[in-house]
Amino acid sequence: MAEVIRTVSLVKRFRNTLVIDHLDLHIPEESVYGLIGPNGAGKSTTIKILVNALLPTSGHAELFGRDSRTLMPEHFTQIGYVSENQQLPGWMTVDDFMDYLRPFYPNWDDRRAHELLRHFELPPDRRIRELSHGMRMKAALASSLAYRPRLIILDEPFTGLDPLVRDELIEGTLQAAAEATILVSCHDLSDIETFVSHIGYLDRGRLQFSEEMASLASRFREVEVTPATSFPPPRLWPAAWLNAEHNGAVLRFVDSDFDQQRTSAAVERLFGNEVHVSAKCMPLRSIFLTLAKAGRKAA
Amino acid sequence: MRQALHILRKDVRHLWKELFAALLLIAAFCFVGARRALWLDVPGTERTAAWTLVTLLLPLSWWILIARLIHEEALPGNSQFWITRPYDRKSLLGAKLLFIFVFINLPMLIADVIILHAYGLPVAAEWPGLLWAQVLLTVIFLLPILILSAVTTGFVQLLIAILVPCLAVLLVTIVGPDLVLALPSGYGWINSYVAFVLIAVAAAVVLIWQYRRLGTALARSFVVVAGILILFGAVFFPWPVAFRIQSWLSKQRLDPSAVQVSLDSKNSWLNRAAVQGDGDVLIELPVAITDLPAGMSAKAEGFSLELRAPDGTARLVNQMPLNYLSEVNQQFSVKAIVDGAFYRTFKDEPLALRAKVYLTLFGNRQVARIPFGNRLAPVPRVGVCAASQVRDGHSYFVVCNSPFRRPPVMVSFSFVEFTDNTLQNVWTALQTSAGISYSPLPATPGLDPVSQEFTLSAIPVPMSGAVVETQEPLAHIERTFQIANLRLANLGQRALSASR
Repeated sequence: MAEVIRTVSLVKRFRNTLVIDHLDLHIPEESVYGLIGPNGAGKSTTIKILVNALLPTSGHAELFGRDSRTLMPEHFTQIGYVSENQQLPGWMTVDDFMDYLRPFYPNWDDRRAHELLRHFELPPDRRIRELSHGMRMKAALASSLAYRPRLIILDEPFTGLDPLVRDELIEGTLQAAAEATILVSCHDLSDIETFVSHIGYLDRGRLQFSEEMASLASRFREVEVTPATSFPPPRLWPAAWLNAEHNGAVLRFVDSDFDQQRTSAAVERLFGNEVHVSAKCMPLRSIFLTLAKAGRKAA
Repeated sequence: MRQALHILRKDVRHLWKELFAALLLIAAFCFVGARRALWLDVPGTERTAAWTLVTLLLPLSWWILIARLIHEEALPGNSQFWITRPYDRKSLLGAKLLFIFVFINLPMLIADVIILHAYGLPVAAEWPGLLWAQVLLTVIFLLPILILSAVTTGFVQLLIAILVPCLAVLLVTIVGPDLVLALPSGYGWINSYVAFVLIAVAAAVVLIWQYRRLGTALARSFVVVAGILILFGAVFFPWPVAFRIQSWLSKQRLDPSAVQVSLDSKNSWLNRAAVQGDGDVLIELPVAITDLPAGMSAKAEGFSLELRAPDGTARLVNQMPLNYLSEVNQQFSVKAIVDGAFYRTFKDEPLALRAKVYLTLFGNRQVARIPFGNRLAPVPRVGVCAASQVRDGHSYFVVCNSPFRRPPVMVSFSFVEFTDNTLQNVWTALQTSAGISYSPLPATPGLDPVSQEFTLSAIPVPMSGAVVETQEPLAHIERTFQIANLRLANLGQRALSASR
């Protein structure tokens, strides 16, 4: 599948702080890609480099095969960008804002714009600065979907939104952008797990993994090992076993590379064959928390 | 272009209040400026307070307007909505510049035309001045705020950016008041234009860089460096270099041997060495300028002076003219301050003095008669003049209006009495050479499109008209003279002891 977004050994430093560390990200066309990670992981910085709002320190990012530093106005007619902290022209009414943006986009669809305003229940005569945070996000999203962009980039769009507004935003985005590629960044997997097709986990500027959701769900298991007798904790753990807890009688860990045979073999090698092993599927929220905790410990 | 106009329409819609205030002030500028022309006919119409207020508020309204305009699509930062929209940056910059041109330059141009017309100046002949005045207005009043707005996000940052250079100038004024507060010389325009060129270059670099790359950090560093260079360019540009540039622009090239400068032995009583309060010593030496070409007069503009002791110790003094040159009826004396230690050590030693004097030669004298009666008469190289008798019967005045700058010539006013077309009596009123600018350009900095020279004289005899005499600066030359055995102790002993 063709890639809409690609970063090659992308590095971003702010003075002495390394924010993005040799990031290689590949986002396939028509995917809904969730970029998750804890606060400060470098998600927004990555996205800002993608839309040429920031310049990389080294490496480069590509959108539609073009270096992000050379994006021209015509490329932005294909990109819809909504960010949690985007500064919108507060003095304009919602209608003014849509009217103002219309001439910038040759593919602007008035009917679709009206539908979006209606769907999001946006008051057309209300000034943007008088809207609530959620309504502002809706206005930004409506103005970014009305021209049928090929790529929609949503940077932390759900921060500070109540679940109802969040669901409206998701529903509106998916309805209006069925054929678009969507990149959505978030620090909570539960916000996006229902609709993303791909997921990437960024921690301290490094991409820990990037894969399809189905693959992710299948390789994470919460494993509990109960030996016949008590045992000391092993000195060396497999790297894929995260957040191991040992109380002398039971060992619990999350296997981030679960395979029934391989995991059982590794357990036997460490604890002998008189053990009871149980493996449970994990909800995505638990996977995210595990990864976040593991990342913090490693730090 | 279509996008630029679209952005322009949006800016007009949003900034209509600021725009209205600026246009209202330009209208007031035009009205008060034109009314000032009537003060000869209608006493009380010279509303100086209103004029002062308008000329103070006008730039302020422009600065607010420009700052708001640029901050509409602020350039620093990475969360403005417009940077991820299909904005063509050239169109964006074009929209902002077009806004400034349409709503500031064009109305000011029209206002200048109306004011010139009100003063009776021939508008059709003044297009170079009208256009150059807009160039200067842009460079002096608009570009600096445009630069600062392009590297700031809002009013708070902008105020800090304005206050910092103001504090720097204040500091320089405190440290070296002579540098900043020195009176302008005829070739001081060169210093100003060094600063103007630097402002224009800085504006071009910052605006192009910011609108193309949004590289605020580098742009801010550049602005700081440019600001320092502009300050240094305006204040510290060496006047001998400025004089040389002026000399290169001279209308006439003169044979260097024609004009001589020497120590004026006929006026040696003027020799003086006076100890100052801080221990330094002021030395004054009379200088004679001889062998001037016929019909020419000289004006000393400055000098440099080197005193060298027998052991090789030397003191070099570069002096601006106005504070250190005296001039009465073509008699000059140069004044140099040397440090007290040098004076005490070498006052009895034979010193070698080498001085260089910078002169402007005036010639090509022209005279225009202005009959009394408040009727404007054109005076070549000046503009239009009018003369009249004041109601008390013993006072006369003459007023000359020049477009966009003081006349580029030395102007003298006289009142005369003619009988049967024969000159009977001449009463010289005023000679204005102190404020002359040798700039060859048709306008000087400032908002007022009309420069006015005015003199009022009480004369006990009846006069029939006024005469305006002009002399053109034709050449700017340097001359050196040397004195082999100058003993400072022999200079004006009385003055020295009196000072002590």
